[in-house]
Amino acid sequence: MARSSEEQIDAAKADALLATMRAAGSADASSRVTYLEQLEGGWSRHSYAARVDHGDGEGERAYILRARPAGSLLDTDLGEEFRTYALLVDAPLPTPGVHGFEPSGDTPFTGPFFVMDRLDGHAVNVWRRPDRDELARDWDGPRGVASDLVDNLVAIHAIDPLAASAAVTPRTFRETVDRWDGIYHEMALVADPVVEEAYAWIREREPDPVAPALVHGDYRIGNCLIDGGRVTGILDWELSSVGDPRFDLGYMALDYQAGKFTTPGSSLLNATADRAWFHERYARRSGRPVDPEVVRTYTALGALMLFAIMTTGVNVYAKGETTDVRMAWGRFALPGLRQDLARLMDW
Amino acid sequence: MFNALTSEELLVGVGRVLRMAAAADGALEDYQRSQILSAYSVTRLLAAEHAAAAELLAWLRAELDAVLDDDRRELVLDARARVEAARTGVEVGDALVDLLAALPREDPRRAGVHRVLRELIDREVAALARTPSMRSAAVRSRSAPS
Repeated sequence: MARSSEEQIDAAKADALLATMRAAGSADASSRVTYLEQLEGGWSRHSYAARVDHGDGEGERAYILRARPAGSLLDTDLGEEFRTYALLVDAPLPTPGVHGFEPSGDTPFTGPFFVMDRLDGHAVNVWRRPDRDELARDWDGPRGVASDLVDNLVAIHAIDPLAASAAVTPRTFRETVDRWDGIYHEMALVADPVVEEAYAWIREREPDPVAPALVHGDYRIGNCLIDGGRVTGILDWELSSVGDPRFDLGYMALDYQAGKFTTPGSSLLNATADRAWFHERYARRSGRPVDPEVVRTYTALGALMLFAIMTTGVNVYAKGETTDVRMAWGRFALPGLRQDLARLMDW
Repeated sequence: MFNALTSEELLVGVGRVLRMAAAADGALEDYQRSQILSAYSVTRLLAAEHAAAAELLAWLRAELDAVLDDDRRELVLDARARVEAARTGVEVGDALVDLLAALPREDPRRAGVHRVLRELIDREVAALARTPSMRSAAVRSRSAPS
């Protein structure tokens, strides 16, 4: 229960961490774990902060261990996420280096895991007013975070889609809709007329196809790290795919992603930048035009994706497959997502 | 209104977190602290939901009845009967899913139902945003049938 000082570290977890790093050539016999603690957050992944002294006289180095625990929220492939990070090591993006992947489900972390560098910076939570205020100050001032959020998205969408296809699954618009529709209907415990209407609405709005790109799939300021007024890390790639890059634009335009829960959040896109400014800069830098109606379609799809994820959390909680109370809490996020969907559909 | 998990299921989860916190030895890890904050949030939201539930359900049934009032088609009459008999929002949701699935895409009744649903959602979200006070909870408790 307590914080893990060196003498309180779970030996089995520390041994598993070091074994995986040694197999990847990132640790040796003299390496030892000096700190290991589970972090807040992580709905379908558990994250642990670790420090390792490699005995090389350079002091401790900080790592993050990402585990896919038993009873995980989504059946997403941890191997794909690991391969995505590996793909991005040489890309002009602030992503962490990786230090080994353990695919076995039988680990002290109750599932497969991989190890990556811990980057400098802090995560913002747009549902907390002080964090929204921090982002608003950036927008009203230097716009370092706002600019990085656009420019990093442009860089993600410029990754060679063929190379990316070796790491993650390619998905068309229809396959993406089918995926979340299938998960939702498998997991839903009650019928929801708003969601049913939204799926019918979105299927009538299939956008004209564009050149595929690496899609982050959960791109938002909350999945970035910030330090010194700049974005220093882009994390949480578990929903990435190769497909229509406009999904990322639509998803981050959700009111929910600007900090709305039961009361409005920021008027800024993702609580970070003016919407027109963001889209204009993205279009100019990427050479990809931004059609507001296509963004609207993908915003609704983003809401349906979140709905499916939250519904999955409620399902696994109801069946006793997890005691994580956040899964139950997710039930209270659904009315706000219904509200976003109703507005997007012009009800 | 169309929400899974009963109050009992939610309270069991909150209780588990309280027990975990009581058994904690030393400072809590970030993950454990987030569990406690989420449990607190569940109790606040559940109280707000309870405070508004009966009024919302009554409003929804009345509005749907008005929107579907002069439509004599069997599928609409069936939906109205199910809404009238519904004791929970989930039961109304079941009836509306079936009704909307059966109505043609261009049917003008759809827009009326959509309008009611939109206003329902706005009312539900506004209700969740309100923090029930101990005093209002006590007044409701005294006025409730025993």
